[in-house]
Amino acid sequence: MFRIRFHGRGGQGMKTASHILGSAFFHEGFEVQDAPRYGAERRGAPIFAYVRAARGAINERGIIRHPDLVIVADESLVPVPAAEVLANFAPHTTLLINSAESAETWRERLNLSSPIICLPLAEAGEQAELPYMGVACAAAAARLTGVIGRESLGDTVAEELGSLGEEVVAENLRRALAAFDAMADHEGCVAEGEERLAAPAEGPDWIEMPLDLGEQATPAIHAGATSVEVRTGLWRVMRPVVHEDHCNKCVWICGSLCPDSVISTGAGGYPEVDYDHCKGCMICVAACPRHAIEAVPEHGAAGETAATHEEASP
Amino acid sequence: MSEPVIKGMKDIPSEHILGAGTALCAGCGALQALHEIYDVLGENTVFVNSAGCMTLMSVYPFTPFRGGWLYTAMASAPAGAQGVRDALDILLAKKRIAPEEDMQVAVLSGDGATYGMGLAAASCAIDRDLDFLYICYDNEGYGNTGNQTSAGTPHASRTATDTGAEGVPGYKKDLFGLWVANRPAYAATVIGAEPLDLARKVEKAKSIKGPKLILALSPCPVGWDYDPMETLEIGRLAVKTGIWPLKEFVDGKVVHTKTPHPRTPVEEYLKLQGRYAHLFSPKRNDALIDEIQSRVDAYWDAVGD
Repeated sequence: MFRIRFHGRGGQGMKTASHILGSAFFHEGFEVQDAPRYGAERRGAPIFAYVRAARGAINERGIIRHPDLVIVADESLVPVPAAEVLANFAPHTTLLINSAESAETWRERLNLSSPIICLPLAEAGEQAELPYMGVACAAAAARLTGVIGRESLGDTVAEELGSLGEEVVAENLRRALAAFDAMADHEGCVAEGEERLAAPAEGPDWIEMPLDLGEQATPAIHAGATSVEVRTGLWRVMRPVVHEDHCNKCVWICGSLCPDSVISTGAGGYPEVDYDHCKGCMICVAACPRHAIEAVPEHGAAGETAATHEEASP
Repeated sequence: MSEPVIKGMKDIPSEHILGAGTALCAGCGALQALHEIYDVLGENTVFVNSAGCMTLMSVYPFTPFRGGWLYTAMASAPAGAQGVRDALDILLAKKRIAPEEDMQVAVLSGDGATYGMGLAAASCAIDRDLDFLYICYDNEGYGNTGNQTSAGTPHASRTATDTGAEGVPGYKKDLFGLWVANRPAYAATVIGAEPLDLARKVEKAKSIKGPKLILALSPCPVGWDYDPMETLEIGRLAVKTGIWPLKEFVDGKVVHTKTPHPRTPVEEYLKLQGRYAHLFSPKRNDALIDEIQSRVDAYWDAVGD
C-alpha cells in the first residue's frame, strides 16, 4: 500500500492535490482513500492531506502515521512544530519538497537519512503563493510512485478541475505535466510500504486525575495582548509600502480599516506598518485615498524589515 | 445616554488595542469589525466567545485581548455572559472590586451560533434584561470549518454544502428583525468597511444598559472566495447596493443610518465573489440575479425609500 502525506498552507491546494493523486491512482485500478485532515481552514495555516492506494482492499483508517512519501509544498512549514512535517519518518520514507535549494542542503539541515528530492515549483518571476502548487505536487508524486502514467494523470487533472473552465485546466495541465516530467529520473523511487496489521486492542493506561480547583485546571493568561509574540508577518507574500511623498497622513483611514491593527501613526505623522505582524492582505492599499501605499513583492523587498522569527505554533 | 464623542472619522480612536498576531486569515472582515468595535469599547471588556472563527483569537498562551476572555460552546455564549455579569455584580455588591473596575460583558459569536444554535440562549438573555452586548460577526457561513451553509447564508450563494448550480436554496434569516421583535435595549447592523457608522453605534450601545446587539456583516476572503484586498470594496458595495442595510433600533423604532442613493445594482457586489461565480459563468443566470435584486428593492420599498 502507498501511504502519502501532503503538507502545505491553506490556499496552496493540498486538498485538491490529494484528490487528483487519489483519482489518478483510481484510474490505474487502485483502491483509494484521499482526505484532508480537519482543522483550521484559514489561508496560510498548516494543512495536511492524505492518500492511501492499494491493489486490494484498504482496511486502514484515519490519518497516515507511517508515510512512504511526504510532500511539502511550502518549505517554510518545516520548522513549524504544528505542521509536523517530519513526523514518523522511516528510512524508506521519501521527502519531496518544493524548494530551490539542493537535496544535500536539506539533508544537512534536517539531518535526515531518508531520500530527499527537491522540486522548485515557482517559475521565473512568480510569488510564493502559487495557484498551481497543488496540481504540480500531485503530478510529481504520481511520477515518484511509478504506477501512474502521464496520460492518465492528464485525464485526471482535466476531470477533477473541469468545472473551472478550459483556460484553468490548460494551465494546470501544463504545470502538472512539467512537474511529472521533471521527476523522470526518480520514477518509481517510492516503494509501497509494508502491510501493517491492526495493533491488538489494548485498554488505555488509566491515570487517575485528582479534581483540581478551577483556577488550577483552567489555563489562564494573566497578561494582555500576548498575541504579539506570534509573528504573523511571515504569512506575507506582498508587503504594503507607504510612499510618504504622496501620503495625506490620514492614518485614521488605513489604521482603522487594517483588520490586524498593525498600522499606527509613526514618525512625522505618517502611517507606520508593523511588518512583524502584517499578514499582507493589502486592504490598506485598497483603502488609501491618495494611492500612497503600494503593494510590492516581499521577495527582495527594499529595506529588509521583514519578520525574522518563525511564527509560534498554537 | 451620554453625549456622543465620535462625530467624524478623526474622532475614531487612533489607538488600536486589539493585539496583532492572531491566527485569523489575512483580510478577515470579522477581525476588521472586531478591532474597530474593541477600540471603542475599551480594555474593560470581558468577551464571552462561543466556538467559531474567533476561537483562533485566543489560543493559549496567546491572546489579543487586554481585558477578559471566556470560551463557551456554540449555543451558550449568552448564558456565559449571564454568569460573568452576575459574578461582577456580586463582586461589586461585596465591594471586592471598585465601581471603576467593573467591566462590560460582550458576547462574541459567529453567524452559525447566532442565527442557529445560540438563538434561544440569546432570546432568553434578552427576556431577563441582561446587561450585555452581543457582537455577531456574520460571515454568512460556518467559516472556520470550510464555509458550510448556516442560517445566515444568503440565497443562491455556493457553499461547501450547497454546491449545485443554484447554490443555497434557502434565504438569510432576518436576525436583526428577530432581535427587534424581542424588544432589546439596542440593536444595530454595522460593517467594518464603514468605521464611522460602526463607531457611532458601538459608542451608543456602550452608553445604554440592557441587552444590545451589534450585527457585523463580515466579508470572508476564504469562504466568499475573493482576494483579501477586496474586503473593503465588497464591504462598501454591500452597503451601496442595499444588500446590507445599516440601521439601528433605539427608543422603540428602527432607523436607517445610511440609505444608498441611488442603489448600485446588486450584480456589482455579487460578481466580485467566487461564491456567486455560477450566476455569471458559464452562463448568466438572470433569473437568480433578478430575484436577488428584486428582494433588495422590495426591502427598501417597504422601508419607504
